[in-house]
Amino acid sequence: MDNNDTTLTFGFLTTVDSPTHGVFGGYLVVDATGRPLEFHCTTPVKVSRAQQILYGATLPGHLHGRQIGANLLAEATSRPLAVLVDAESLLHVRPHTPLPVGIVRRSDPAQPAPGGDETVVRFGTTTVSLPADRHNRVIEGLTALAGAVDLGEPFERIRAAIDEAQRH
Amino acid sequence: MAQSSERDTPSRGAEPPRPSGGGSHALRSADLALPAATIKPRLSIEALLRPRVLRLPLAGTTPAVASIGLLDAAPKVSSYLFPRLATPARIAPPRPVLPQPVTVPAPTAPALAAEKMARPGRTRIAPPGDVVRMEERLWFLLQPDLETLLRSCHLDFPRQPFPFQLEGIAFLMPRHAAVLADEMGLGKSMQAISSIRLLIHAGEVRRVLVVCPKGLVSNWVRELGDWAPEIPVAVIEGDPQRRRWQWALADVAVKVANYESVVRDRELVAELKASFDLVVLDEAQRIKNSASQTSHAIRALSRRRSWALTGTPVENSADDIVGLFEFVAPGHLDERMSPRALGAAAADHVLRRTKDKVLKDLPPRLNRDERIELTPEQRETYRQAEEDGVLRLAEMGRSATIRHVFELVLRLKQVCNFDTHSGESAKLDCLKADLEEVQASGRKALVFSQWVETLGKLEKELMPFGALQYHGGMSTAARDEAIRRFKTDRRHSVLLLSYGAGAVGLNLQFSQYVFLFDRWWNPAVEDQAVNRAHRIGAAGAVTVTRYLAADTIEERIDEVLRKKRDLSELILSQSEPSEAGRTGLTVDELFALFKLPTPGRSAAA
Repeated sequence: MDNNDTTLTFGFLTTVDSPTHGVFGGYLVVDATGRPLEFHCTTPVKVSRAQQILYGATLPGHLHGRQIGANLLAEATSRPLAVLVDAESLLHVRPHTPLPVGIVRRSDPAQPAPGGDETVVRFGTTTVSLPADRHNRVIEGLTALAGAVDLGEPFERIRAAIDEAQRH
Repeated sequence: MAQSSERDTPSRGAEPPRPSGGGSHALRSADLALPAATIKPRLSIEALLRPRVLRLPLAGTTPAVASIGLLDAAPKVSSYLFPRLATPARIAPPRPVLPQPVTVPAPTAPALAAEKMARPGRTRIAPPGDVVRMEERLWFLLQPDLETLLRSCHLDFPRQPFPFQLEGIAFLMPRHAAVLADEMGLGKSMQAISSIRLLIHAGEVRRVLVVCPKGLVSNWVRELGDWAPEIPVAVIEGDPQRRRWQWALADVAVKVANYESVVRDRELVAELKASFDLVVLDEAQRIKNSASQTSHAIRALSRRRSWALTGTPVENSADDIVGLFEFVAPGHLDERMSPRALGAAAADHVLRRTKDKVLKDLPPRLNRDERIELTPEQRETYRQAEEDGVLRLAEMGRSATIRHVFELVLRLKQVCNFDTHSGESAKLDCLKADLEEVQASGRKALVFSQWVETLGKLEKELMPFGALQYHGGMSTAARDEAIRRFKTDRRHSVLLLSYGAGAVGLNLQFSQYVFLFDRWWNPAVEDQAVNRAHRIGAAGAVTVTRYLAADTIEERIDEVLRKKRDLSELILSQSEPSEAGRTGLTVDELFALFKLPTPGRSAAA
């Protein structure tokens, strides 16, 4: 795979909690050099007391994965090689998309490894956990992207963009 | 709930009725295989074991059902699509080495959201204030940070830019109208070149014109070579036929021209319909007078983006910055605006940093005002010249003009440098003594004067120090050679410069001493001169010695300038003026130097 392959795209999905408005979702699609191609953001979702009671511990997964994440991914026009998220609750988007969804974490070699069967790949100061059966081509693509961009950085952009959208 | 019971008492020996509803079965004694004798008569086992059935009819009532909606409606999604930028082939990064997957269970390192991903050293490109469409603002905000852009383009720099320089690049890049007004010595040209380079690599600009003073053309070519070595550069120079060809060149990304060329070739440029994606003016204060030919010619250039670089956006009056904006953003500022309104209107387009704010580690600048007593003969010549001059002005009365006063000031300043009769110079004696120390310590010094004639005299007197000259009367080649020798040859420890040619654009930070042999009219120009040495890369403290002839016109001018408000700071900091805002000398002030009323003004005024 050529690192300069501009057909490669990657999705970054995150949410922003606003104490006054609710939960915003943001989805950024970038090319192999990290430049933006698409951006989608949701209106804020306010969680009701009934949802809190009835979903209980499953609420974050439902809210982030299905209600926000799945809707955002459905709006995108390009089909990225992978979607990266920055929170466990967003992994609940997996059942709603055929795309491989990985989670980006800061590398912390000192942390003990818990149970699980994901493939974890280190890129600089971050690691990406992917479903074990989906990683070959994705890792190659992420390697190209990580050569240009810190994989944690695009989430900052989404937050800044949501902040801007809120102010206007 | 209504409740009723039904008791069935079976007759002895009779078969117990089977329950009609199914589910329970009556037992017979045979089923239990017990001897009949063990059972008391009249009390059959069947009777004992017959289940008692309670029927609880619901009496046809239906329980109330309360439905709680989860309101899982999909949130509204706003979508923005951005153009895909072509990546030039030459900046394609090398093929990366694939990391080895670590086939271990998922670690518990915190997901990024939990730690907010705060990472140091990220310079964001913020949308300019005049960009109002949400899609465009988001396009800026969603770009990678500057450090990432540089890394992804694989652009090498001769040295790591300072954080404030990256902020300067992030300021320039998104702007179509920008004034980079950093204090001299902070690397304005490097910031402009790096911004140009990134814009060219992003395919956002293809034709750039840099306009600078003639003496700085070679400096710009050198800096472009250092900071953007892969960008093709052409200098517009030579005879008309050659210049015509150079203006028309299509495959050169950056052209460098001097102000005089632009004025001279104004019609040619129009005829060729030359247009630029970006025009950068260095030492842009050259066009502060919007009525000047230079300003007209520059403003006539067809362009999409206009950047002005200047360390002194406001040199003499508020009109300066208005004149500058006639190029940068025509009509955006108005001369009738108050300084505060000017500052507010210009704020989003102007970036100014001072060394004390951004370069905490820059070696200190030590100012030293040397008050020098003229030699007796010099003093006598000075006294005579002043008395004669003032007498003449007084005799001229209302016919005296500013030119007459100006001539007298210049004549007196020249006497402060060298006695016009004897050639004596108290300043020179002082300078020689100072330079001996400089030379003994192996250091280098810059000496500035207003007059080329003074530089000539100094060169002769300072031969033991290997003095070299640098001024506008020399050819570009001769000036470049003087700089080269001064930089490389230890025998040359002094460079004599005119304010006009030497105050701008030169990087002489290896010089630790600056002497202002005479004073310029405007402290901003003096600062520019000093900053040739006191700038990024300075190896140690820079000592600035300003010679002032005691009890002369030089002291009076210095006093006037000291009392002046710094209008530049007023506009750039948007604070309220506390007194009249001008830094140059007005007509009234010039006449007042000799305690003369300004002709045409009433005494009461």
